[in-house]
Amino acid sequence: MDPAPAATTADDHGHILVVDDDPQIRLLVARFLQRHGYQVTGAPDGRAMLEALAHSAIDLIVLDLMLPGRSGVELCREVRATSQVPIVMLTARTEESDRITGLEGGADDYVTKPFSPRELLARIRALLRRVRAGQGATAAQASAIVSFDGWLMDLRRRELQSPAGTLIDLSTGEFDLLVAFVEHANRVLSREALMQFAKARMSDDPFDRTIDVQISRLRRKLEADSRGGQLIKTVRGAGYLFASQIDHQRGQPA
Amino acid sequence: MTKLAKRLWPDTVASRAILILVAALLAFHLLGYWAYRVGVENLATAGQDRGLAERIVSIKRAIASLPQAPERDRVAHDLSSASLEVHWSKVSLVLGTAPMTERTRAMEARLKELAPELAAESFRVGFADDGALAAGEANAYKHVMLVSVRLDDGSWVNFSSSALGASQHLDWGLTAIMICFAVAIVVVALLLLRWATRPLRDLAEAAERFSLDQAPQPLPETGPVEVRWAARAFNTMRERIRNLVTERMQAMAAVSHDLRTPITRLRLRSEFLEDDATRTLIDADLGEMEAMIDSTLDYLRGGTSSEPLRPVDLASVIETIVDEHVDQGHRVSLVGLNSAPVQGRVLSLKRAASNIIGNAIKYGQTAKVTITDAGDSFAVLVEDEGPGIAEIDRERVFHPFVRLEESRGRQTGGSGLGLTIALAIARSHDGSIALENRAKGGLRVTLSLPKLERS
Repeated sequence: MDPAPAATTADDHGHILVVDDDPQIRLLVARFLQRHGYQVTGAPDGRAMLEALAHSAIDLIVLDLMLPGRSGVELCREVRATSQVPIVMLTARTEESDRITGLEGGADDYVTKPFSPRELLARIRALLRRVRAGQGATAAQASAIVSFDGWLMDLRRRELQSPAGTLIDLSTGEFDLLVAFVEHANRVLSREALMQFAKARMSDDPFDRTIDVQISRLRRKLEADSRGGQLIKTVRGAGYLFASQIDHQRGQPA
Repeated sequence: MTKLAKRLWPDTVASRAILILVAALLAFHLLGYWAYRVGVENLATAGQDRGLAERIVSIKRAIASLPQAPERDRVAHDLSSASLEVHWSKVSLVLGTAPMTERTRAMEARLKELAPELAAESFRVGFADDGALAAGEANAYKHVMLVSVRLDDGSWVNFSSSALGASQHLDWGLTAIMICFAVAIVVVALLLLRWATRPLRDLAEAAERFSLDQAPQPLPETGPVEVRWAARAFNTMRERIRNLVTERMQAMAAVSHDLRTPITRLRLRSEFLEDDATRTLIDADLGEMEAMIDSTLDYLRGGTSSEPLRPVDLASVIETIVDEHVDQGHRVSLVGLNSAPVQGRVLSLKRAASNIIGNAIKYGQTAKVTITDAGDSFAVLVEDEGPGIAEIDRERVFHPFVRLEESRGRQTGGSGLGLTIALAIARSHDGSIALENRAKGGLRVTLSLPKLERS
């Protein structure tokens, strides 16, 4: 998106470890990220990765799920046991199970292969920004499951379940918006603040539609439950308010 | 006529076997009955003839011993019985010119054999209906055997026996019993045959159910030896087909999967191009390649996926897809229910619905999406304003790699797998997809999925 390295933003610095068994991809990703101001180290497998982690300060790991020898998920768990370094997982596009295992292994975000380099960059930026903002690296540190009014929200799997037990499909933007609401429940949030939260996750998103459209879509989906539409209240002239009691819990969804 | 014959012609193994059995039984019975009748008749006739011949000889002797004509006449009358009438007269009642028949000759031989003294004398045997009598009397004495024996003095003793022309009446009681037996045997045989051909019917049914998607139980190798062979052959064939298809699919999946690495590399390399316009075009091409690989892999997966089935709100899935198209500036609208819980796989359902809605936009410029309650199921109606699909093509469009606009060149892109995948997914959810042209023009695609059963 920004061909000139001069255009890099404040988040474009840090040491990124790229773990992929394909040397070409490693090299290309490294060149691409270096162009955007990052320092990059490549590792072909788990051993090299752990070595790199031991010897240098790594800010973020880009980890391929399909690795020879030990799989990305295994490595992810191993890293998580000792460190909270943010991890972006590279997964196969159509394998839903890969995404789930990747995220449950402790990855913070994922990009499906074949990925667009700019999408990868966007995820890296967003993740680093969140970490640096002190929100904690990920939802992993917060509770995995949040509930409100009978609704269950799995932050790791990025899934929303209605009080009736039905899975409600949300777009990435809608889910991020809901996360922002849940994290700031019973507080009035201005449009600008919501925009910021949503952007923090999806900086790649061409955010040309207004927050109001997003919220009306989210409301419509919450209306799948008879009282769901009342959760997000409009505060005239100030913004929106998410009115509900939030419960945090760890563990697996029912 | 031939149609009727074709319909009446027994088509099943059981009916053919029954037909053969009935024919054989009928033949057996008829032959047996005939043999029985002939045997009994011969026996009876032989016995009767013997008795008759003996009586004829003894009566002739009695009459011959009487000298006077009136006494001879009286004795003849006295010795008459219901079955044998005796008359004494000067002339023979049997015309000497009467033609000899098989039976008269046999009777003559028997009489000669029984009473050797008759051989010396002249006697005549004839049947009334054989023309032995003068034409006038013939009718009255039909079926009557006549024997005339000449006495020494030239007069004749005439015997007429009605018992000899025994009538050939059928024994109806016996026939009825035989018919009853035959019917009973056929009924029992029919039941047994149905039981015996049951493995064959099972085999046919299993062959019909055969599909590669599910993992059907192998056929039980039971029943008669021929059926066991057939079942074993069928099982082997099915296994072979399955292996073949699996191998091909694995090969295709491996190729599709491996293509992702070079595509990822190309994407990365394109980032280093100075020419923005070229880079955008390359990105678009790569996007198309990715879409093709994805749909090929989806197709190979045949509607199944590792994702578990669980309650999903179909309405939310449709809303996400429609919103995405709206954001891209497409003319898409959505009305109807905002909650439609089904048992499903989110990614698969999303794939199916976005293929259908994507097609509507690609070929019909607009998509009017309606979610309705259709009794046992939820129906998602997608209507466009395109050219629609001709009746003859509606079946064909679901076949893999079939693209109807092929003749007009590949302007719209796509792999020809969209509807194939959508249908496979719908079926794996016990649902269906129907196509119809709208009265006002354009196509209406209806995706139906069974409602979630709340326990």
